Amino acid sequence: MFNVASPLINGLKITLQHLFKKPVTLQYPTERPIIGPRFRGLHALNRFHDRSKCVACYLCPTVCPAKCITVEAAEDPVTHEKYASRYDIDILRCIFCGYCVEACPVDAVKMTETFELANYKREDFAYTQEMLTDKK
Amino acid sequence: MVNLTIDDKQVTVAKDATIYDAAKSAGIKIPILCHDKKLHPFGGCRMCLVEVEQMKGRLIPACTTPVTEGMIIRTSNVEIIKARKLVLELLLLKHPVDCPVCDAAGDCDLQNLTYEYGVSKNPLQDEKFKWEIDYINPLIERDMNRCVHCGKCARICDEIVSFGAYSFINRGIDAKMGTAFDGPLDCEFCGSCVSVCPVGALLSRPFKFKARWWAMQKVKSVCSYCGTGCQLTLGVKDNKVLTTIYDENQGFHNGQLCTRGRWGYQFVNSEKRLTTPLIRKGNVLVEATWDEALALVTTKLREAKGGVAALATPRLTNEELYLFKKFITEGVGSQSIDHSAGYAHEALTSAAFKGLGEASSPSVIGDIQKSDLLLVVKTDAYETHPVIGFEINLGVKRQGVNLRLISDKKGKLSRLPGAQTLVHLPGSEVFLFNTLANIIVTEKLADEAAVTVAGYDALVKSLAVYTVEKGALLTGLSAEEITTLAREYASAKKALILLPLGLAYPGHNAPLAQSLLNLAILTGKIGKEGSGILFMAEKNNSQGAVDMGIVPGPGGKNGADIINGCASGEIKALYIAGENPVVSYPDRKRIEAALDKVGFLVVQDLFLTETAAKAHVVLPACSFAEKEGTFTSVGRNVQKVTRAIKPVGSSRSDFEIFNKLYAEFTGNPPYATPQSVFGEIADSVPGYGGLTWSKLGSDGFIRPVSNTLRFVPVEAAVTVSQPGKFALLTGSALNHSGTLSQYGEGPMMVCPEGYVEFGRDDVKKLGLLEGDKVVVTSAAGSVTLLAKLGKRLTTGVLFAPYHFGANSINTVASGDPVTWVSVAKAK
Ligand code: SF4
Ligand code: SF4
Ligand code: SF4
Ligand code: SF4
Ligand code: SF4
Ligand code: FES
Repeated sequence: MFNVASPLINGLKITLQHLFKKPVTLQYPTERPIIGPRFRGLHALNRFHDRSKCVACYLCPTVCPAKCITVEAAEDPVTHEKYASRYDIDILRCIFCGYCVEACPVDAVKMTETFELANYKREDFAYTQEMLTDKK
Repeated sequence: MVNLTIDDKQVTVAKDATIYDAAKSAGIKIPILCHDKKLHPFGGCRMCLVEVEQMKGRLIPACTTPVTEGMIIRTSNVEIIKARKLVLELLLLKHPVDCPVCDAAGDCDLQNLTYEYGVSKNPLQDEKFKWEIDYINPLIERDMNRCVHCGKCARICDEIVSFGAYSFINRGIDAKMGTAFDGPLDCEFCGSCVSVCPVGALLSRPFKFKARWWAMQKVKSVCSYCGTGCQLTLGVKDNKVLTTIYDENQGFHNGQLCTRGRWGYQFVNSEKRLTTPLIRKGNVLVEATWDEALALVTTKLREAKGGVAALATPRLTNEELYLFKKFITEGVGSQSIDHSAGYAHEALTSAAFKGLGEASSPSVIGDIQKSDLLLVVKTDAYETHPVIGFEINLGVKRQGVNLRLISDKKGKLSRLPGAQTLVHLPGSEVFLFNTLANIIVTEKLADEAAVTVAGYDALVKSLAVYTVEKGALLTGLSAEEITTLAREYASAKKALILLPLGLAYPGHNAPLAQSLLNLAILTGKIGKEGSGILFMAEKNNSQGAVDMGIVPGPGGKNGADIINGCASGEIKALYIAGENPVVSYPDRKRIEAALDKVGFLVVQDLFLTETAAKAHVVLPACSFAEKEGTFTSVGRNVQKVTRAIKPVGSSRSDFEIFNKLYAEFTGNPPYATPQSVFGEIADSVPGYGGLTWSKLGSDGFIRPVSNTLRFVPVEAAVTVSQPGKFALLTGSALNHSGTLSQYGEGPMMVCPEGYVEFGRDDVKKLGLLEGDKVVVTSAAGSVTLLAKLGKRLTTGVLFAPYHFGANSINTVASGDPVTWVSVAKAK
């Protein structure tokens, strides 16, 4: 009889102990998680004057294993410089591997702490250059 | 042969090989930057350093050092790698290394070598170059900051293109690849320099930033402009042809292209492409479905039975032309089918057929460099077939071939070393060649075997009237010049005649070709290597169109008669596949009237051309990049065309359209694929026997000829000059081919509209300035064009290219070898 009861009591003991410990869960969304410095959330593009810093080298779309980045290059008619006329990320396909950040030769693309990416419509997961570029 | 050891391998090579060639033949890779197999060794970059046992103490450049017996060579060791790394470090010292925005990245020799040799930091430091980038010309961006001073651009432009746009300027660290007076580049824009530049210093502007090299599919095909049949590689991405890519291992021309092949590809994905069938409703063409359009075509052609004619462009593939012929003759039951206005192929279909027993050139392009003497009829051979022009340049400059140009004007070829241009009066060619033949007969310079050739006596008899005196009088050349030429030609062991053909050259017809053939047969030049005659047919598949029988059948009408038949009402329905007679056939007013008159006109084309705009039904066809098939180019080379992209819009390949109509009209089952038609061609077309799809391989196959020689006397029509008038010659502009190149951005950037060229004296006489507008008037009509000042024309002679739909020169050109016109300044 005693033998049957002892695991039950041990279990209850552990449960009781936890009542007095700090909880591991978060009361999300009222409570916010602390995000690690190398967390890989939604992308952002650094800004350079009035454009994103991206020079449309196509290295990130080339390296992306999920093939979710679409870049189109254009030539500035005055300076002849190369810039990205289009920079789209289909975030539904992104696997947040961070290869794009690693590949970028000009430090244009980065990953932010933004992880709340849920949405209602498919179209809303298509991030454009305008949405991704840091605000002035 | 020389024996040597490279990296412990025994190698035997020819004695004129370099160490680099020897290693390459043994499969050993030596890195190079400034070397190119097409060019003379340069030895500028020192990337190819190797160690030679017998020359220890210093490293030896492999690309310039000839092999010697018993050499022992090491292509890689610690010391060599160190030396090569230093070369790269020195090059990178002032190099911008802006690979992320450089279109060469991925295909850049400097980038690849830097990666291969692991040069990741540089112990040396210096400022970067700060040259201004040349963005002035529309086609080539010149960023000399990225230049590695390999000199390849200057060498190719000089050695092969013979233009000479570049040379090094300044000294030491300031040295730079420069143009004349360091100004903007203004050249013929063949793009050869862009192709060979190992880095991103010379780049294609129309392709700028369009795609990265590694993201493109590379599809090998054949150029669809002129008859040279250059092989090219299309850079394809997202179902679009974005550029042409250089591959030095393609074709006899080692991947080199001319300005239109290099930069004229944009017509494939042009916004102006037709994407759906159109049917005429009153005055407008409205969109229709394929079923509607084809049903209408079927009904109307059936209604017009007995009065149907067809014109096809020689730009279609052999399989399409073969099928078109079958559809028209067997299905519709008409023998009236032709191409190229009925005259531009006559040199082959009439003259060569009579004189050689076969409607094709006995010689091939490879004969050019093997010859002793080239007789080029018209300097325009360079403009009509630029890459054959490169072969002529190489023959003259490298192989010491003598060059004689018989032309009504001077041209680029006239400037080659030792070249002599005999500028004769326009329209006197046949008389001149008959005179040459007469001299050869009377001076007993003819080949011994000539007397045994059929028609010899008749020829000799007919030649008697072509005396040197008369020849001199009519051609404007001196008696001595004519006699010397005759003697030179007759005595040359190997002599090759080049005759460009085309819609713009109505004088290059059967009589001219026949007189040339008589001359060649008389001197025993046919059937020998480096000798004979090469008919340079105009379009990519002109030879194929002749082979596939796109000529009138028994009792059928030819091109000219078809147009007349339309005007007279005898022809009730006309099917035009790809031709644009309104712009390219002589006498525009007459052509337009005829096409307006014809009861039912079907036009099948890529674009709504001037001709298509008159049609009752327009069928959208595919470009060469969207189809499979074969082209037969100058010198009988049958080559494969590969499909690179899906059809644009709902356009269909000409093959698909013809196949459907053929099945409908004959009741036979349609063909499965172009390959199955090719099989039938191989079974039934002379010269194609035994050919299979796989036998064509990547280089194509030069189909055989068998010639039966015969002399056919020709009478020289005499062109009488009209006092006070100018002799108008039409021709080809270097940047254009037919009327198709109008839809290529590249050619239009450099040569956007028609012009008329004047010689120096006439410019002075008329008080003209470059860019003035002049009105040119003939009996046929009148047109206003820009005046261009040239140095190559003699007094009283004008030249105008024929490619342009707006103010087209066929408004005044009558179709005679020379059109007499008057000129006035436009008000
Ligand atoms: S790697 Fe950087 S510069 Fe290149 S395309 Fe991506 S974001 Fe732009
Ligand atoms: S030339 Fe080559 S190394 Fe230089 S920037 Fe361009 S890709 Fe990079
Ligand atoms: S484009 Fe051709 S002609 Fe012009 S500089 Fe380059 S090689 Fe010479
Ligand atoms: S421009 Fe290009 S081809 Fe010409 S020297 Fe410089 S690197 Fe060589
Ligand atoms: S147009 Fe003629 S010469 Fe030029 S690349 Fe094409 S086939 Fe060659
Ligand atoms: S490749 Fe030999 S020196 Fe440049």
